[in-house]
Amino acid sequence: MKFDIIIIGGGLSGLTAGIALAQAGRDVAVISAGQSTLHFSSGSLDLLGCDNNGNIVNNPLNAIASLNASHPYKKVSNVESIAQEAKQLLTEAGITTTGDATANHWRITPIGALKPTWLSVDGMATMQDAGTMPWKRVALVNIINYLDFPTKLIAAGLRNRGIEVDIKAVTLRELNELRKSPSEMRSTNIAKVLERNNLLQGLADAINQVTVDGNYDMVLLPAVMGIDSCSAASTMLNLIAPEASYVATLPPSVPGVRMQTLLRKRFAALDGTFLTGDQVIEGNFQGNKLNSVKTAKLEGERLEADNFILATGSFMSRGLVADYNHVYEPALGVDVDSNSLDRTTWAQLNVTSAQPYMEMGVTTDTKLHCLLGGKPVSNLYAAGSILSGHNSIKLSDAAGVDMLTALQVTHNILNQQ
Amino acid sequence: MTTSTQTQNMSANNFEQCLKCSICTVYCPVSAVTPLYPGPKQAGPDGERYRLKNKDFFNEALKMCLNCKRCEVACPSGVNIGDIIQAARIKYSTHRPSLRDMMLANTDFVGTMASPFASIANPVLKLKPVKAVLHGVMAIDKHRTFPDYTNRKFESWFKKEAAAHQAHYEKQVSYFHGCYVNYNYPQLGKDFVKVMNAVGYGVNLLEKEKCCGVALIANGMPKQARRQGEVNMASMRKAIAQGHQVLTTSSTCTFTMRDEYAHLLGIDNHDVRDSITLATRFLFQLLESGEIKLAFKNDFHKRVAYHSACHMERMGWVPYSTRLLRMIPGIDFVMLESQCCGISGTYGFKKENYERSQAIGKGLFDQIKELTPDCVATDCETCKWQIEMSTGVTVENPISIIAQALDVEETRRLNNA
Ligand code: SF4
Ligand code: SF4
Repeated sequence: MKFDIIIIGGGLSGLTAGIALAQAGRDVAVISAGQSTLHFSSGSLDLLGCDNNGNIVNNPLNAIASLNASHPYKKVSNVESIAQEAKQLLTEAGITTTGDATANHWRITPIGALKPTWLSVDGMATMQDAGTMPWKRVALVNIINYLDFPTKLIAAGLRNRGIEVDIKAVTLRELNELRKSPSEMRSTNIAKVLERNNLLQGLADAINQVTVDGNYDMVLLPAVMGIDSCSAASTMLNLIAPEASYVATLPPSVPGVRMQTLLRKRFAALDGTFLTGDQVIEGNFQGNKLNSVKTAKLEGERLEADNFILATGSFMSRGLVADYNHVYEPALGVDVDSNSLDRTTWAQLNVTSAQPYMEMGVTTDTKLHCLLGGKPVSNLYAAGSILSGHNSIKLSDAAGVDMLTALQVTHNILNQQ
Repeated sequence: MTTSTQTQNMSANNFEQCLKCSICTVYCPVSAVTPLYPGPKQAGPDGERYRLKNKDFFNEALKMCLNCKRCEVACPSGVNIGDIIQAARIKYSTHRPSLRDMMLANTDFVGTMASPFASIANPVLKLKPVKAVLHGVMAIDKHRTFPDYTNRKFESWFKKEAAAHQAHYEKQVSYFHGCYVNYNYPQLGKDFVKVMNAVGYGVNLLEKEKCCGVALIANGMPKQARRQGEVNMASMRKAIAQGHQVLTTSSTCTFTMRDEYAHLLGIDNHDVRDSITLATRFLFQLLESGEIKLAFKNDFHKRVAYHSACHMERMGWVPYSTRLLRMIPGIDFVMLESQCCGISGTYGFKKENYERSQAIGKGLFDQIKELTPDCVATDCETCKWQIEMSTGVTVENPISIIAQALDVEETRRLNNA
């Protein structure tokens, strides 16, 4: 099977590149081995939250200059315009966001901490400034028996910042039904029950009832609305009397699933081919070129393309694999920067300290070409979390690296011809 | 020992690879509509840990699983969740199939009985009182329309009208037509023969063909399924010995014989598996290698929406059918968002499943109704019943669409047939 471009990996990075290339008229295939880490999304996309020294970043664009030379952003030619492009691409896919690359805003994590971020999906609770709180009295409303929304932790986090918080809980008969199977009382199932049975008004009534007398200036809800479309998420907020917004839940993340679905739909609408639940198991290299790849399911098939992009993610997504002796890239076996063969150096015993393995990844040249035996492969690029040279937990830069490097690779491919 | 534990996955169906991410629960069509089903994570890898300790942890609710494998396609860790669930049903279920289940499962026996009387059986099966009896006594849902039985089985047509001139072709294939083509929709078989002949291939039936057994597996009759599977494998071995590939026009039969025979029924099919292929895949591969050519009518126009059947998705073969359809110049192609239609073979025919089955498919039906295509294309026959009944839009196999669009004379000339 022949394509212009084959992208290995169907998460944020792979789909970003896929959409941009399909939009440029290329025949693109995305090969995806299962669903992506977007399912753990906070509903916000981080570009750069902290610098190398752990200081909070206010203006990501300025702070990028101070990053190590190994950071993937150093291979992005014009971060400002590419960040714009990323936001535009999301909007065109139906994912509208607030925020921009010159000024971080703040999001609330599912355990009540505040974190600097770049773009937040519309409807998520955000703050411009972590110093001055936008609300005085907040009602934190959960759905009874929904366990992936630790209200006490979130309330404690907000109270620490001087906000008065009341915790409330509501339910509906139909949601009570869901409790029959506690393991299935999950964000995405709640969202489906609410939206597919037209229960938004009913739930809003219940919420209004418990918040009406409280003089709240904000009602915070778990982000369990809007699995099929953004409109259900915004309709819900409009039905609530004071201002209302969403706080991210523990996984699976409804805003994340929605992003994944909308990006995939956009890619399909641009005639992209999405190969689901399949895995690249081998690359056929000739000289400094990758000619074709083989997948686990398309037995006997050689998938050929002019250019390939490796966007399979890090350890979590199995874009990188560690065994007792090595860290390697399992799909094509390209070079990985694992620093040392001594596994005791890969991790620090203190789990919260910066973990060296987080910086491991595939090595690339300045144009983001992968290396094989130290030599660049002329038509194989890497994008996203699989890239080496940055610690996405410490820097809060995961989504930015995913999207910006994907778009940079797209430019590199389109300009090469 | 420790190294091998880590480098080789040793658990059956990969269940130890589960990292509890809960992504599978997001994509289970049954979980989405009923809280009584424990969901793939709980029914699959989580429950398996308990069942291995004590069989009493087996829960008959597992029979609600459609075996659609959408959980497997979504799982980023390669856990064979659907296989774990079906294997548990085979191993632990004490539920004995009812007369109704036996009747639904024995698609070929019922077909043999009904076909000679098709002119009687079809109207009778549509009569209200008969439907009431089926609904009340047999627990076959009254809303269901039985697919019409044909007066003349495909096999009879083939022997009389087609068999004689098949030997004229230089190249030969065997055809596993399946129960549906034989008893309900011989036109698809005729279309298949037309297309194969036009590209220079003679068609042979297998010496003995039995129902692939998918419905027997689903209805708790693995022993009979195994016996039938062995018959099919023996016939196919003979065909393969003559140098034939065995072609099919049903994604579910294909998936069952290639993958479920070995995984669930313990049938050794390793020498046959690679020779069983879907007609669209066979044609696509020959077209791409330049071994055959297709010519299409100038005046053929159709707006086609493609539905990815669950087992097609699981095999990863969707692109073969879609890329083949897109080659037809007169086709205006739309890709439907991949969702289960809810029928899952005989599942949706049962009274207790009817509502759930329709609720599962609703999203898909809404998409189709909104698009109003000329037809829906899909590689699975039970999806055809379900979508036609639920949307009123005609559903066709890609092979039938190719047969309609084909310029037979020109194609014959191009292939020296
Ligand atoms: S998707 Fe796979 S890894 Fe995740 S919970 Fe389900 S079975 Fe486990
Ligand atoms: S096979 Fe289908 S119905 Fe069964 S658990 Fe998996 S997703 Fe759910």
